[in-house]
Amino acid sequence: MPIKHPDSRSLFDRRSFLRTAALAGAGGLIAGRVVNALADETVALPFENGERRLVKFPQKRPLILLTTRPPQLETPFSVFNEGIFTPNDAFFVRYHHAQIPTSIDPATFSLEIKGKVNSPLTLSLADLKTKFEPVEVVAVNQCSGNSRGFSSPRVAGGQMGNGAMGNARWKGVRLKDVLEKAGLAAGAKQVAFNGLDFPVNEKSPDFVKALDVDHTLDSEVMLAYEMNGEDLPMLNGYPLRLVVPGYYGTYWVKHVNEITVLDENLANFWMNPAYLIPDNTGACVEPGTTPKKSKPIARYNVRSFITSLADGDKVAVGKPLKLRGITFDGGYGVNEVVVSTDGGNTWRETALGRDHGKYSFREWTTTFTPDRAGEIELKVRASNRIGQTQPLDPLWNPAGYMRNVVETVRVNVA
Amino acid sequence: MKKILFQIGIASLAVFAALLVRGEPFKIELPPETSSFKPAKGVEIANAQCLVCHSVEYVSTQPPLPRAFWATSVKKMREKYGSSIPDSQVEPLLDYLVEHYGAKTSGAPAVSSAASTNSIVAAVEPESKTPEALGTRFGCLACHGPDKKIVGPALKDVAEKYRNDATAHAKITEQVRNGGSGKWGPALMPPFPMLTDEEIKILSDWILALK
Repeated sequence: MPIKHPDSRSLFDRRSFLRTAALAGAGGLIAGRVVNALADETVALPFENGERRLVKFPQKRPLILLTTRPPQLETPFSVFNEGIFTPNDAFFVRYHHAQIPTSIDPATFSLEIKGKVNSPLTLSLADLKTKFEPVEVVAVNQCSGNSRGFSSPRVAGGQMGNGAMGNARWKGVRLKDVLEKAGLAAGAKQVAFNGLDFPVNEKSPDFVKALDVDHTLDSEVMLAYEMNGEDLPMLNGYPLRLVVPGYYGTYWVKHVNEITVLDENLANFWMNPAYLIPDNTGACVEPGTTPKKSKPIARYNVRSFITSLADGDKVAVGKPLKLRGITFDGGYGVNEVVVSTDGGNTWRETALGRDHGKYSFREWTTTFTPDRAGEIELKVRASNRIGQTQPLDPLWNPAGYMRNVVETVRVNVA
Repeated sequence: MKKILFQIGIASLAVFAALLVRGEPFKIELPPETSSFKPAKGVEIANAQCLVCHSVEYVSTQPPLPRAFWATSVKKMREKYGSSIPDSQVEPLLDYLVEHYGAKTSGAPAVSSAASTNSIVAAVEPESKTPEALGTRFGCLACHGPDKKIVGPALKDVAEKYRNDATAHAKITEQVRNGGSGKWGPALMPPFPMLTDEEIKILSDWILALK
């Protein structure tokens, strides 16, 4: 049952979705097979070969299935109109290797800190929760390849719509505090993070990522054990994950159990050649070409979305219409969101909602009254405190990373 | 009354704390894999090679891209991810991927189809028919360690399960021929219809004797 306009609030038939969700809830995990058979609602992401099933995974509502093994799940876009915080059961899932943990004993889980440190440490979850100051941050986690399916020309990789992002309140301890307890030895250059997931094939590169030492000491990088006031869902990294505010999800290592301080830059597949972007402003090249120089992906660029309306929605002529959406950036702080209701010819200001911190989604709202019938193009564009904004036409790179074009929603006024 | 409520509160906290201390592992059960490759010439290579590490959607959700794209992907799997796709299977695998998941028209380089007319069975040279050689050649051992679970169960666990089952050989034959999922976990075992009765018997006898 494909339903059009997936990049939108009307992503799927509401009633069938609710029915599926209710069945899934009643069936629980044991009846996963039955629930799954009943949960085969589909959506069509608006690009070629974009048809996807909605499938229920443990601790999740039915989400857009990208891949089953390892699980990769996308948040239906309608969720982003429900609130600034993305519920844990709707938060996207991305893994690189199929050997993912499905059973973890929180009493025996441990985190090892080793390498170029003065005193290597092994910490239990209880140690982390009791021996360090707990801290919280509201931060967006966004996949490097969020929106890759819209790349034109199309590129290889996970073919996602706009739902590989989410905003949560993370609670945990400062990475800095843990590293200082171990004591960085002279010459420490990068810190590498490994989690409990590993590849099927021993020859595949284990998923390990690294941050520069300076970055790890900035008080913002966190080892989080809670997400929106609950334990992390298993598929989002239970019982401990790295939270790197403002940085793409590739650095947010899940199930992190091994931290290694290095006296050189980590040289593995996941640092180079994976997750590299063109080394220029806009991280882009002429479509279809290869960058001459690359660098590791880092901070988010500026994005904004309309969440209250979707392509094909009908709105009433002469009646005030409240427009609403979300915006975020890499942590400089979005300070202006403008909206166009005439396809980009003129722009109007919007009001920004409550500020949950510079790494959070922020709501924007405005009201406008359509004055004549016909199709109109709504556009939204954000800019931040350091003057970064969104391009009117999409930028392109070979990996389909960092899409942040000004989004357009077409609605019918009648 | 307030005091009683408070005491109940403390009591439930204590129960909660006790649960934490007892160290119950937190477990999830993943839903079963349900997608399979389109059945057509060459599918046996995709089944035996691609599905070791990932499910079908890694292929089936890609946009219809030309042969050069699929060639790059297969090269990456071999060179970066350590896939053991033999040289002789690369072109037949590309034929299958381009035909069923790619763009047949635009951007496809003129590649001789001479190599691709051979099926996997013809492509492999006559080789040893020891169980280990067969297990390697058909990809069994990529997913099943003799004594280690990889994607599918350890072969000795299969032996244990069918230890006193007179229909063990028939069940293994059925599983190899038609594949299936759910008996051991969520991963889907693809069908391996290209094995002869003799080859399955060699493997089945070996598996069932493992301890």
